[in-house]
Amino acid sequence: MLVTQEFTVKAEGKTILNDLHLDFGPGIHIIMGPNGIGKSTLAHALMGNPKYTVSGAAQLDGKDILALEPHERARAGLFVSFQNPTPIAGISNFQFVKESLIQQEKMTNSMSDITQVLNDYKDYSDVFGLPSDFHKKQLNVEASGGEKKKNEIIQMLLSKPKVSILDEPDSGLDIDSINQLSKQLKTFALENDNRTVIIITHYEKLIDSLSPDTVTILRKDKVEKGDVELAYKVFEDGFGE
Amino acid sequence: MTEYRELDNKYTAGFSTQVESEDFEPGLNADVVKRLSALKNEPGWVTEFRLNAFEHLQKIKEPDWANVDYAPIDYQALSYYSAPKFRNKEDIPQEILDTFDKLGVPLHERDALLGVEEQDTKIIPTVAVDAVFDSVSIATTFQDELQKHGIIFCSISEAIQDHPELVKEYLGSVVPSKDNYFACLNSAVFTDGTFCYIPPGVKCPMELNTYFRINARNTGQFERTLIIADADSYVSYLEGCTAPAYDENTLHAAVVELVAHDRAEIKYSTVQNWYPGDENGVGGVLNFVTKRGICKGESSKISWTQVETGSAVTWKYPSCILRGDNSVGEFYSVAVTKGKQQADTGTKMFHVGKNTKSTIISKGISFGDSSNTYRGMVRINSGASNSRNFTQCDSLMLDNSRAITIPVISQLNDNSIVEHEATTGKLSEEAMYYLQSRGLDEENAVNCVVNGFCKDVFQKLPLEFAAEANKLLSVTLEGAVG
Repeated sequence: MLVTQEFTVKAEGKTILNDLHLDFGPGIHIIMGPNGIGKSTLAHALMGNPKYTVSGAAQLDGKDILALEPHERARAGLFVSFQNPTPIAGISNFQFVKESLIQQEKMTNSMSDITQVLNDYKDYSDVFGLPSDFHKKQLNVEASGGEKKKNEIIQMLLSKPKVSILDEPDSGLDIDSINQLSKQLKTFALENDNRTVIIITHYEKLIDSLSPDTVTILRKDKVEKGDVELAYKVFEDGFGE
Repeated sequence: MTEYRELDNKYTAGFSTQVESEDFEPGLNADVVKRLSALKNEPGWVTEFRLNAFEHLQKIKEPDWANVDYAPIDYQALSYYSAPKFRNKEDIPQEILDTFDKLGVPLHERDALLGVEEQDTKIIPTVAVDAVFDSVSIATTFQDELQKHGIIFCSISEAIQDHPELVKEYLGSVVPSKDNYFACLNSAVFTDGTFCYIPPGVKCPMELNTYFRINARNTGQFERTLIIADADSYVSYLEGCTAPAYDENTLHAAVVELVAHDRAEIKYSTVQNWYPGDENGVGGVLNFVTKRGICKGESSKISWTQVETGSAVTWKYPSCILRGDNSVGEFYSVAVTKGKQQADTGTKMFHVGKNTKSTIISKGISFGDSSNTYRGMVRINSGASNSRNFTQCDSLMLDNSRAITIPVISQLNDNSIVEHEATTGKLSEEAMYYLQSRGLDEENAVNCVVNGFCKDVFQKLPLEFAAEANKLLSVTLEGAVG
């Protein structure tokens, strides 16, 4: 569950988001909005990117997170997928997942845990049609745009966050991969009733297949929230700005 | 006697040991050189070697071309000999044994065997150790075991007594005593160090390890290492170093010479963790070292791998002379500087023989106010036809640190290939945020980036050392951030 009050974000002295009151319960949610309205900013300001100055409040399952460092927010159960995940040379995709899960105390360094997580990683990369040696590839170095996106989703699926914000996870993916993405996200959100999955997307087919619980439209002056019909209305009429 | 100083919280080897010692009064002159030689009961030719070097030293000046800055060294204020008092190697003061124990250096053969599967009836040791405390070698383990293979592994002082013909043939043959100021100083006043000889056709069955410990205050450590790999032999040698946290600079001017005969291979690895000084740049070891190997025989190979995290000032260029046809030289280096540390390090590859090959991979990581210079020279002589060099030089910077790369390439024939790649990067806020957003704290995130950055070099270290280097790196990074 993710709640914000009077959530205001500035960068380099300029206000990007102003006075947002948002409330996402367990389930699947869509965020839409015109280009440049600050959808990615919302995700990364919540995650704690130091380039933003944030005021107001945000709670994850009732816990205030704005005073926390990014890694503490991650450990509290927040996950944000990156549109352009940063390349880190010399560390493999799997090593990184392992390190990340160990730091979040979601696995131990025991052989059995490592084997388990490695198998899970390989299963997911198989499902997403990634090469069989993808786990050995250097993190976001030896990968195409689509592969990086898939790797972000795999990291999310393995770390099982309470609240996930996925920033245009479909862009750069082919149609089969998007279908798989939708299937995995639904399974993930439904297999536990304490998971909140928020997806920033404009892709009609994905929204359609996810059957989201809510749709939120970010506009310059107001936030509109409704059910999936709201998304269809936007597809019909545009954002109306 | 030395004073005890509080442990530096980041530098865990910074303690000093109280031990009764025999020290020379500070000062450097021909008499000191003679006294040192007499004390060690050296044959005339060694005394001569020292005195010649000392004479030459009067005529030359300290090099000033390196990108480092330190207060002038008063050579007359240093003591040139400090040895803990003990009658023989069976009678080593407990304090010294405890010191090495604390540093994790196994001086008893039994200790070196621990950790090996107990049910295994035929226990094979993996590391033999020569431990040098200030000016003397304290203990050398597994000498008997090594002797069975004809391998000589002892202190250089013992080698001068027991194997003078070998020492005489090779001492100063790779690094002449007049090579440079610090090598010249070392040739005059070297105290102890390690000697290894691997006979023809022998693959040394264990890693040979020398551990250098500086303990005394205001004493220079001038160790001398000589390794000879005869035809078709192989040896892997490891070197580790630490020193107490004193407010004064400690001078360490070592000379290492390697000789590889036909088809022989020497793998030389260093984990250098001398005291780096405090955060204000007070104290620390001045590490002025001349290391050079000659691939004398055809198809011989020398590789240098170094992980340099310590010392206030480092001036060090482990080099290879590739004289034998088809010989191979390698240099893999990770140099980390933080605080006020200064490192000017790199390598020289001299291609003399035909079809010679060299590889240089250097990773410089600098934090804080430190400066980190890579200085390299690749020279391909006209006769070194069909030779190859590949150089990769990467720097990673944080804070206000400086990284400088100075490669010099001279290629005197037209059928050889020299490649140079260099990257310079800052540890980006973006990378840090990405890693932190996945649950890694700041320290873990830096570790992750730095370890990835050093991976190519760490892979070259012997297994026992790779773990130590990794651990050392994380300890070094602790508190380097922010």
